[in-house]
Amino acid sequence: MELEDLKSIWKSGETVFQPKNEQEIAIMLKGRSISIVNKLKRNVWFELVFAIVVSLGLLLYALSLEQGAMKWTSISLLLMCLASTIYFIKKLSVLNRVQGINDNLHDTISFLITNLTSYLKFYRNSYTVLYPVYFLLGLLFSVLERGTDKFVVFLSQPSTIVYLLFMAGLCFLVSTWFTRWYLKKLYGDHLEKLKKILDELNQQ
Amino acid sequence: MYENDRDVRNDLFQEIVLQLWKSFSSFRGESKISTWMYRIALNTAISGYRKQTRLLKTEDLREMHLNISDAGSDDYDENFQKLQWAIRQLSEIERAMIMMALEEIPYEEIAETIGITQNNVRVRMNRIREKLKKLMCP
Repeated sequence: MELEDLKSIWKSGETVFQPKNEQEIAIMLKGRSISIVNKLKRNVWFELVFAIVVSLGLLLYALSLEQGAMKWTSISLLLMCLASTIYFIKKLSVLNRVQGINDNLHDTISFLITNLTSYLKFYRNSYTVLYPVYFLLGLLFSVLERGTDKFVVFLSQPSTIVYLLFMAGLCFLVSTWFTRWYLKKLYGDHLEKLKKILDELNQQ
Repeated sequence: MYENDRDVRNDLFQEIVLQLWKSFSSFRGESKISTWMYRIALNTAISGYRKQTRLLKTEDLREMHLNISDAGSDDYDENFQKLQWAIRQLSEIERAMIMMALEEIPYEEIAETIGITQNNVRVRMNRIREKLKKLMCP
């Protein structure tokens, strides 16, 4: 069976493509892109706006308070939100580099693999840093709640040290596992698919 | 030929139209407009698109497994259905290449769109043809 035979079979059964009219095309162009990069960008924009709104709320709340534990709690949360804002902006700048749909398939896939890998690495690493920060914040709130003196006494007990070490280890393991699982579920399979396609393209 | 589910197929078509629209300003006329359009469509279908998980509808299952078309059941129609089924068994790259070949796209343009050499296109096309032959006439 030659290629020409296949072409004639194809032409014999080919259904006539129904051209779309202007209205249908206009509706399509108004739709939202569902490409993976655009979806990622939309998620990050949502997180960024949320972080900014919460930051403003916390700032106003902190300014309205006199001295006290709640004021310092609000300020520390505000600092966390500001750090998150910078993190989301960095994420967006990484995603904005992921373009190149005009290149040929081989180059586009190579480019996407490199950029998505670095994006996921950045995502994973930032969470690896953020979880210990959350843990330390938890300790800080505990200090604020109990008072410094009581907290020092509490911390000097061996059972407390063992408990804190155990909790820190558990938090680290669970959060690392969860981040890896979440990223793999969301984008890992797509990345694996892209790698397989690139391998196939590189074979002679 | 890339998606069996009708809704997913429509989503993909819309995404390709959107990407063509967005990318048109970057078309520099260095290649044929058809090559450029194939490139955008393939990049969208294969690399930039992660399909939604949906439950297949009965009509899609019917379409996928029985490949029912509106035409009659003469030899040509049967061969066409076999060809459609066989193409669906190929990998995404092979599917893209054979679809372009069936649409009379020259090897030079296929090579340019996929990003491999013309010689490689020729070799791969022979392999694809052999695979289709085995699938259609086991």
